[in-house]
Amino acid sequence: MTRNERDEVELVAETESFPVEPRYHPIHRIPRMIYDFLASARLAMALLVAILVCCLAGVTVVRGAQAWLTIFSTLWFNALLVLLVVNVACCFFGRIWHRRITVISFGMILFHMSFVAMFLAIVYDSLFFFQGSLRLTEGETLQNSDPHSYDGYRQGRFFSFSRLKGETTLVKMIRGYRVGGEDKRAAYDVEVGEPGHKRREVIYITNNLDYKGVKYLPEKEGYSALIVLSDKTGKELYGAHVPLQSLKQKDNSYLYTTGTKEGAGSFPFPQDSPLYSLQVAYRPDPVKDRSGEVFFQVWPYREGEIPQQEQPAAAGKAPVGQHFSAGGHTLAAKEIRYWVGMNVRHDPGKPVILASLWVGLAGMIITTFGRMRKGRAGKG
Amino acid sequence: MKSELVCFWLAVALYGVSTFSYIFGLIARYDKLYLVGLLSALAGFLPHTASIGLRWAASGVEPFITISESITFGVFMAVLLFLVFQLTVKKVPPLGVLVMPTSFVLLGWAGTLIKEVATSLNPALQSAWLWVHIVGATTGFASVLIAAGLGLMYLMKEKDSAGIADRLPELSVLDTQSYRFVAGGFIMYGLMIVSGAYWSNTVKGNYWAWDPVEVWSLVSWLIYGIYLHLRVTFGWRGSKLAWYSLIALVVMIVSYWGIPFSLETFHSGFRIDHS
Ligand code: HEM
Repeated sequence: MTRNERDEVELVAETESFPVEPRYHPIHRIPRMIYDFLASARLAMALLVAILVCCLAGVTVVRGAQAWLTIFSTLWFNALLVLLVVNVACCFFGRIWHRRITVISFGMILFHMSFVAMFLAIVYDSLFFFQGSLRLTEGETLQNSDPHSYDGYRQGRFFSFSRLKGETTLVKMIRGYRVGGEDKRAAYDVEVGEPGHKRREVIYITNNLDYKGVKYLPEKEGYSALIVLSDKTGKELYGAHVPLQSLKQKDNSYLYTTGTKEGAGSFPFPQDSPLYSLQVAYRPDPVKDRSGEVFFQVWPYREGEIPQQEQPAAAGKAPVGQHFSAGGHTLAAKEIRYWVGMNVRHDPGKPVILASLWVGLAGMIITTFGRMRKGRAGKG
Repeated sequence: MKSELVCFWLAVALYGVSTFSYIFGLIARYDKLYLVGLLSALAGFLPHTASIGLRWAASGVEPFITISESITFGVFMAVLLFLVFQLTVKKVPPLGVLVMPTSFVLLGWAGTLIKEVATSLNPALQSAWLWVHIVGATTGFASVLIAAGLGLMYLMKEKDSAGIADRLPELSVLDTQSYRFVAGGFIMYGLMIVSGAYWSNTVKGNYWAWDPVEVWSLVSWLIYGIYLHLRVTFGWRGSKLAWYSLIALVVMIVSYWGIPFSLETFHSGFRIDHS
């Protein structure tokens, strides 16, 4: 019965039967309208075009980080994607229902199913993912489930830190690591796991470690100097590992120094009851790893950053392992180690996402294959 | 001049000859020029291949890292597919009217961007995925270029401009052929995206980051996804789709080599600074 016929019947019914039936069935009609809306091929087109336009805007009008903020990470854009998935589910599967399964339609079903599966997995992943950056100096161990272990992190709404098991140790950073003749540059020898069940592996750019669904990927590395404060007699009073930033110089060489990514800077030393504001820079020996010269600049301690143009109370240099005297104390970079920043990721939806990409591709190929066969049989 | 460059510019010159033969063949309604066009495309293809091979052999770096290499490789695939199609499957004599000028201009443009020293990709990034990714992207481009060429043939036959009608197969054949190339290109773009996601996953641990190049590739895929739906679900045929394929081609060229390369460096997310 079409809608017109139904309306006619209702009209007739109104004049003839009592009590009068309500003419309007909001409860029946609304789900029906919603379904018709979601199952319309026009909506599919409109959504595909809308997403296309957003993508185009996101690479032309606004770009990069700005595009992420104003488009790709927003609720409305993601709502468009979700609507598209619901639309595929209603429109495509509503049409293909009860149709005879042929090679062509099978491929299409596979393709659209994988599309739906992929999006469900993406949504699931966005609720449960974790991504953090873990910074470790050689020999150091950090607890994986402690938020303080991470320099920064992002997590899905339902992610729980208890999902991150065990602890992570950086055993050693290896420079110029080679695998079968290929230079992988930096490799990290790391150990992850609970005591008694540790996994140790050398990770590098194309090889990461997977421990219980959590991935450890190399990201960046740098030097860390063990700075030791001693008294006149040579007795060690305090020591701390100080991570150094690599700052690119105008001549393309690197300077390794305390401070931030933006520039060199001083820090309170010793950390608990500071005597000095100290700035340390390191020039690696071009031949011998982990040796070279260390430059010290010392100011009497005061709070806050010391302006770079202010003359230090004492300044000088000493090779790694040697002492430099500053007032009543001596300072030394006792040893140079490396620190590394690792990317720690947990993406529970990823296997489904990646697998459905292949299934979708297979679906497209099957459809095409079916079309070619049909074409050859002279029916296409 | 290095032999690699000699080969390169010889190829550009021969594609230029081919371009002019096709265009004059069309204007002057002189069919023999189509054959000249095809033969000079074939002749240009040899030094084109040689220049890629020489550069690759000399540097040992995959020949598609910088923008000029990328364009050169894309045009290589396009001409290869065009020649294979013309010499084996289907003869559409004036097809080169769109394919060869596009190839000529793109290759000439690539020539102005050549860098003497090969830029090496961070060796760490090398992986078989890279090959799948690039072959997907370039054959995808090659297919949609030919689809657009067939679309143009369709429109010209429909109007019978330059008395071209009897040189061309039936309209319906052109229409179907063009659609098949779009479908093939769509699969290849799919392959490009899938392998890119896998590659990104092994290197960066994520599959998708809305990086500009990723979004551009999604744009190409959506454009042809829309094409397929217009045809399959809305029943579009013929001249509307032919126009669509021509406009989409322009977007393809811009999205490949126009904007992403000039504004952002190649896959900015893949630049890995090791201090
Ligand atoms: C709102 C989302 C979508 C809906 C409602 C939808 C619906 C459909 C329908 C009804 C068909 C034709 C089935 C038939 O009657 O034979 C089809 C085919 C197809 N769809 Fe979709 N689809 C959607 C999303 C997508 C997307 C995002 C893509 C990829 C860009 C895609 C790619 C395809 C392909 C490749 C075919 C087969 C075309 C051919 O036969 O060559 N679909 N779709």
